[in-house]
Amino acid sequence: MTTYLGNRLLSSLFASSALLWSAGFAEAKSVIHVMHQGDPGWVKAYGDVAKRFEEANPDIDVEMIYAPHDAYNEKFSAAVMAKQLPDVMELDAPFLANYVWSGYLQPIKPLVDKDVLDDMTGSNIAQGTYPIDKDLYAIGLTDSSVVLYGNKKYLEAIGARIPKSVDDAWTREEFEGYLEKLSKLEGVKWPIDTFRGYGIKTEWITYAYGPLLESAGCDLIDRKAWKASGTLDSEACVKALTMMQTWVKNGWVVPTSSGTNQFYAEGQPAALAMGGHWFYAEAAAAMKDNIVVIPLPKIGNKGVSPNGTWIWGISASSENPEAAGKFLSFLLKDKDYRDYAKTQSAYPGLKSFAAESPLYAEGGPLAVAFEQASKTAVARPPHPAYPTITSAFMQAVDKIFNGGDAQEALTAAAKKIDQDIEDNAGYPPFDEQQ
Amino acid sequence: MSDLVLSQPAPLAIPRGNSKTGLRIVQTVCIFIIALVMISPLFMLLIASLKDDRFRILADMGSFRAFWVSEPTLSNYREIANFSGELAYGRYLVNSLVILVVTVVSGLIINSMAGFVLAWGTLRGKAILLALVVALYVIPQESIIMPLVVMMSRAGLTDTFAVQILPWVASPLYVFLFYQFFAQLPKELYEAAEMDGASAFRIYRSIYMPLSLPALATVSILMGIESWNQYLWPTLVTQTDYARPISVAIATFFGQDSIYWDRAMAASVLMMIPVLILYLAFQRWFVSSFVGSAVKG
Repeated sequence: MTTYLGNRLLSSLFASSALLWSAGFAEAKSVIHVMHQGDPGWVKAYGDVAKRFEEANPDIDVEMIYAPHDAYNEKFSAAVMAKQLPDVMELDAPFLANYVWSGYLQPIKPLVDKDVLDDMTGSNIAQGTYPIDKDLYAIGLTDSSVVLYGNKKYLEAIGARIPKSVDDAWTREEFEGYLEKLSKLEGVKWPIDTFRGYGIKTEWITYAYGPLLESAGCDLIDRKAWKASGTLDSEACVKALTMMQTWVKNGWVVPTSSGTNQFYAEGQPAALAMGGHWFYAEAAAAMKDNIVVIPLPKIGNKGVSPNGTWIWGISASSENPEAAGKFLSFLLKDKDYRDYAKTQSAYPGLKSFAAESPLYAEGGPLAVAFEQASKTAVARPPHPAYPTITSAFMQAVDKIFNGGDAQEALTAAAKKIDQDIEDNAGYPPFDEQQ
Repeated sequence: MSDLVLSQPAPLAIPRGNSKTGLRIVQTVCIFIIALVMISPLFMLLIASLKDDRFRILADMGSFRAFWVSEPTLSNYREIANFSGELAYGRYLVNSLVILVVTVVSGLIINSMAGFVLAWGTLRGKAILLALVVALYVIPQESIIMPLVVMMSRAGLTDTFAVQILPWVASPLYVFLFYQFFAQLPKELYEAAEMDGASAFRIYRSIYMPLSLPALATVSILMGIESWNQYLWPTLVTQTDYARPISVAIATFFGQDSIYWDRAMAASVLMMIPVLILYLAFQRWFVSSFVGSAVKG
């Protein structure tokens, strides 16, 4: 009996020790939290990558945190306030300077595989670089651009020249001439859709309209002195926005109330669409061969196009930065993830991914869009005041498009931006950059 | 003079019955038009959920094609049911139902108790307390949401069901609604029960609550809809599928570059069903409560 009890005690002791050991082993596992946005396809793609990563790295667990695209900034702010920033997070590129300045991100060069870093396109490096220390804080598989989509039949009917590359983009005279001709063409209700329907809650206006203004010699802010007054309310900007206001006044632009589908909706009422690279998939599905992709017009002396998309960074508060970097390298090399990105006509941000993407390769339907990345792409102002810059600019454009005075609206926006910079003591060391 | 009298036009003689019929026809047509305007977005939603091409749905919007489907399919419903192969949307729906039921049931108890005490309790400074409750109502939820996130995170409640229920159980609006309802009931009712030796809780439970069906129905529906439609709060406090409600899950269909209208429509239809059932179940009392409030001022 004593032996029996002794055996039982021994086995219990052994079992508890084994349990404790396994618990200790489980605790030794590092956990990384990854916050992201995206539609169900991307959510699944990221989830699958996380599973494969865990299989390849049994010592690391990945917990995915999903935040809806429209509420991402609110979710991010909540995480900051609750001191619960994830290890890895997706962020919209133009907000990078603000996040780095606020101390939320850390440099990723020491953490991400060198072959992945060497694979980045110039535009991808630009969108992930902080201008003060010129260090890289974020990386992405993808990038973005905006082009003009044209209704082939309508353009042929007015005898429009179809540019073959960024170098022979339409000039302002050509562009406005075609808009006027299209406005008189039967079947065309609006010569162009600039996607006013996206509204001012998204980044669209700054992202897509900004480059047109920059092409006309304007900018949102002086990128050396970091002052908006004298730049955003300059004569060049007033003229450029008055030009766009005239398009609206002439009835050439699809109004906000008509949504974002007028280019390919029944009867194809819009002849041109100034849309993101992602618009190609939905437009081509409805228009088949009746679609041409054209580079953004040269309003002034130089062509300018936008860039930047949602990229990945590692938070400064991460307790497992090495594991986070390992995950990022794994994600960006993952074949299935890349294959899924291709099905979504994702715009390449890595050279090797560009080589795998026939849509953007030479002769591909979106080759012109990819050409813009190396020739005309200009990042949105990389400054911590960017959230104020974009919000003030979008409100000004909205006022102007609704009939407001361009000079007045731009002066008000410039003052608001400068006030924010002043309120933050110039966002040092940005104030010493000049 | 007589000529003048004779020349006056005879009053237009419309038979009374015809006038009533005419009025009824006009009323019916107006009601029909209003009903059509109210129902058309829901009908469009239902039709769109039966189309399997998201680009087609977008292309059809703005034309009468939005109200017609030539080849109806349930593929969107199948897709959202099988997404990730884990019946995730079924899970989100159950999560939302759990949050709704617990919030409404506990909310009915807590708000009605508070309303009862404010109406009939012998609490000192009751009037000030009531004024404070009403004052709280004017503070928008959004203004306290970030401090609330921090509080809940420090309490270790992030990504739980409790975090989606606790902050919204007690509400100044519903406390006031119950207070107003209880205060309108005759004082003699309370006094008679008190004379019979009933405790305050007994009076609340056995007399006032059974008489409060319209108020209970109104609060249930309003609270239910509020809980069901919560979006920003669960977005901020949920991290994983564990407690994520369907309202946040539907937002996945609205991506950075594309919107999956087909699946979003199907999920929205599914999301509407429980609220519709709740409304249909309680609508008789809900309407009578509103009519009562209007008559009694």
